[in-house]
Amino acid sequence: MNLNTIQNYIFHKLDRPLFGALILILIIGLINLISANHQDFSNTISHIVNIIIGIIFLYVTCNIQTRTILVFAPWTYSIGIFLLIYVNLFGIESHGAQRWINLGIFNLQPSEILKISLPLMLAWFYQKCASKINYRVHFIGGLLIFLPFYLITTQPDLGTSLLILFGGLTIIFLAGLPTKFIISSFIGLLISSPFIWNSLLNYQKERILSLIDPFSDPYGAGYHSIQSMIAVGHGGIFGRGWLNGEQTNLRFLPETTTDFVFSVFSEEFGFFGVLAIISIYIFMFYRCMWMVSKMQDTFSRLAAAGLTISLFVSLIVNIGMISGILPVVGVPLPFFSYGGSSMVVSLISIGIIMNLYSNKSLIAN
Amino acid sequence: MDKYYIKFILRNRLNFITYCFLIFFLLLILRFFYIQILQNNYYSTQALNNIIKIVPIEPARGLIFDRNNTIIADNKLSYSLEVIPEKIENLSVLINKLSNVVTIDNSDIIKYKRILSKNQFSHTIPIKSNLTNEELAEFSTHSYQFPNVELKETLKRSYPHGALGVHYLGYINRISKKDLIILEKEHKKKNYIGTDHIGKAGVEFQYENELHGVSGYKHIEVNSIGKTLRTIKNFPAKEGRNIHLTIDLTMQKIAEKEFKNKKGALVAMDPNNGEILAYVSMPTYDPSLFIDGINHKSWNKLNKSKDKPLLDRAINGLYPPGSTLKPFVAVAGLENQLRMPPFKINDPGYFYINNSRRFNDWKIGGHGEVDIIKAISVSCDTFFYGLAIELGIPKLNKTLANFGFGIKTGVDLPNEKPGLLADAKWKKKKYKKKWYVGETAITGIGQGYTQVTPMQLALATSKIAFPNKSIIPHIKLNSQHLKQNTGLTPPINISDQTIEWVKKGMENVTEDGGTAAFIGNTTAYKIAAKTGTAQVFGLKKGEVYDEKKVPDHLKDHALFIAYAPAKNPKITVAVIVENGGHGGSTAGPIAKKIFDYYLTSGSR
Repeated sequence: MNLNTIQNYIFHKLDRPLFGALILILIIGLINLISANHQDFSNTISHIVNIIIGIIFLYVTCNIQTRTILVFAPWTYSIGIFLLIYVNLFGIESHGAQRWINLGIFNLQPSEILKISLPLMLAWFYQKCASKINYRVHFIGGLLIFLPFYLITTQPDLGTSLLILFGGLTIIFLAGLPTKFIISSFIGLLISSPFIWNSLLNYQKERILSLIDPFSDPYGAGYHSIQSMIAVGHGGIFGRGWLNGEQTNLRFLPETTTDFVFSVFSEEFGFFGVLAIISIYIFMFYRCMWMVSKMQDTFSRLAAAGLTISLFVSLIVNIGMISGILPVVGVPLPFFSYGGSSMVVSLISIGIIMNLYSNKSLIAN
Repeated sequence: MDKYYIKFILRNRLNFITYCFLIFFLLLILRFFYIQILQNNYYSTQALNNIIKIVPIEPARGLIFDRNNTIIADNKLSYSLEVIPEKIENLSVLINKLSNVVTIDNSDIIKYKRILSKNQFSHTIPIKSNLTNEELAEFSTHSYQFPNVELKETLKRSYPHGALGVHYLGYINRISKKDLIILEKEHKKKNYIGTDHIGKAGVEFQYENELHGVSGYKHIEVNSIGKTLRTIKNFPAKEGRNIHLTIDLTMQKIAEKEFKNKKGALVAMDPNNGEILAYVSMPTYDPSLFIDGINHKSWNKLNKSKDKPLLDRAINGLYPPGSTLKPFVAVAGLENQLRMPPFKINDPGYFYINNSRRFNDWKIGGHGEVDIIKAISVSCDTFFYGLAIELGIPKLNKTLANFGFGIKTGVDLPNEKPGLLADAKWKKKKYKKKWYVGETAITGIGQGYTQVTPMQLALATSKIAFPNKSIIPHIKLNSQHLKQNTGLTPPINISDQTIEWVKKGMENVTEDGGTAAFIGNTTAYKIAAKTGTAQVFGLKKGEVYDEKKVPDHLKDHALFIAYAPAKNPKITVAVIVENGGHGGSTAGPIAKKIFDYYLTSGSR
């Protein structure tokens, strides 16, 4: 075997364009994190560890048999739901929300698991019912979404729960929910929106209100939003240069390693840096959607589309948040933010998408 | 899965989602274009504002002097070590390292964390304050090891005379949450941004606005690691105004010394203008305890002591006036055409109401023939029982109120109590019981419900000395406060004849036969006075009060009011010695010392 065949053997399932873009983003994210950490390397090292673990998971999920994924889909969903109930009862509280389970080595965030297992579960479910899709099937699909959505909302983690809701609804949409129904329920949602508003918690209302005019309360709810926009705006065309972001270094910017990691990047690398990163993300998104369009069976298409959409909605919400057009809801930037659960889950999602693509004709038979 | 679904619905919907996302991405790029390029100037200014920090400058607190320019409240240089919180990577490491040079204990760390958590404005935060000289020297030689620790000089309040006169002086303490709320309400919070302390009691509280001054501030530019580069703008603070008090600190010292370890209060006043010369409330406490926030142990000790050192007895202590009320009752009678000399009674030593209830005179066997002048000088109870009953409470209270009893004197010190002039209406409301004639009788000798403060006694005595003057007791020299409050105690309209008789009675108190005869006989100047004894507890029927048998804390309070010299008075004194027994014997000598100092020593 020559070198080429070894390479082919090891990497034959990895989608090289997507993987290449991913590695590029991870490296830039890592460099950015050094600055965001105020050059404290302990976090940087655990970020590298997270990436390595994530890549191993990506490689494994990419190379296992697609049938395994299909079989495991309902199990991961059930385990995810169980963990969510568990975390609501016994989880670790942080920033007023219960999101983590302490596993000794690291804290597990079950809502992250649902980002993978819900699309897989829905895809599995529609695959089972592929021959007779009707309103009853869509209704059960809706219940499958609502259960984790409700549990995560009560943690309370509005950002993640909305992401999961959106990802799930997209799958039902792709599974062929009638257009008439979509339009009428959209109108229904508009009418019921005042009631939804009333059911929000105060801090969530404040965050949404502060978005409308963050400068109305610069030391209260709008503080994060303003400081982030100042950092971004301060970056200008070319940025302040790596490690030279004054807003980051003087600690005006909050949560620089997680939710606001991209603010740090924007200040230091400017508009062109942002343009480069968003371009890479667009390429990854487009590549994923192209892969979905090549898939042959319902499970693959719906699962891959759901995973892609979850990832990139989270991405758009995060970037929209730091640039002040969306509320501060606490959603990390995939492949960029510090945080083990998020990193591993995002990489597993990419792994599954690649797996489904490489096996595009296997299940159909 | 039918071909139709895949071909149309799925493909369309996938495309729809893809386009939606691409549009979102495009919007995000436009957003960044807008913020980073079009609005770059605006946000760069904002960022610059972040880089310029505003540092408040605390104004030096005004000093407090007595009337002879002796300093009572001073500011002393104090050294502290301060750090920029953003620059500290590991607090415990720094503290460990600093501990080799200066003592840092747990309370310093707690204080640091507390200030850090509340701090919005200051650039640096003290980690160790009040360095001793040794610590200062030690730190200075090792300062190269601590590039991130700054040595700062601050002015700190000091009270050089310790507990002397603490009740009028008061103290400052750390600004509390409650203070902040009040400051906010009064729109003064901005002025206190750089200030840690605020006046909490006495003059320090009363004249807080003048003493505090006006905060200044400076804009400093900090670099990316938070180090100060330069000062851009400097608005210096305006220091607080110095205040001179009417107090004569030497007299204050003499007075407090004379009390020894007895409890009580003394107010010495210039009856010509209401200036307070001495203001004693015993026991005292050290105001320095409060400056950096009093610790729990000291606070509990002060607060729970049964001697109540925190109580300002001069304006918050309520006492039955006892016989010291008699000259004022006499004025009420005379002004109502009652008991005008040469009217006399024959005092058998007791007084009967309706031939049934018997009221004893303090002197068994009585005083014999007594006119109103003698009634004052020998403190004849029988005379005043009858006078009070004939006069009635309403008329009596009206005159007493004219002398300032039952209302605040308006002294420029916080939380003054008004005392009490009781009447039937008051009793009905308070106890739901009717007023008895016997109560009128004992009101005439200053027992019963009547309650006065030493300050009220001093003021009322001054009004005997000068009935035509309108004075308000005050402690700040040349105080504006006087002008605002004229009208509070207008001159009383008393006939010259009345005042002459009453004065004569008070002068005779220190003559042979008077209740304080032993005092006046020895001196060159004449003292007009009135002694008083206030019962602490009621005697049972038929029981005779025997000073030797009663435990100390149940002994009668001794009262003494006086002015001197009798012709052309220069000073009024009111003294109360708690559980001091008979008025003339314990309270009188204290007043005497004051007069001696003020009227005979070289200072006048």
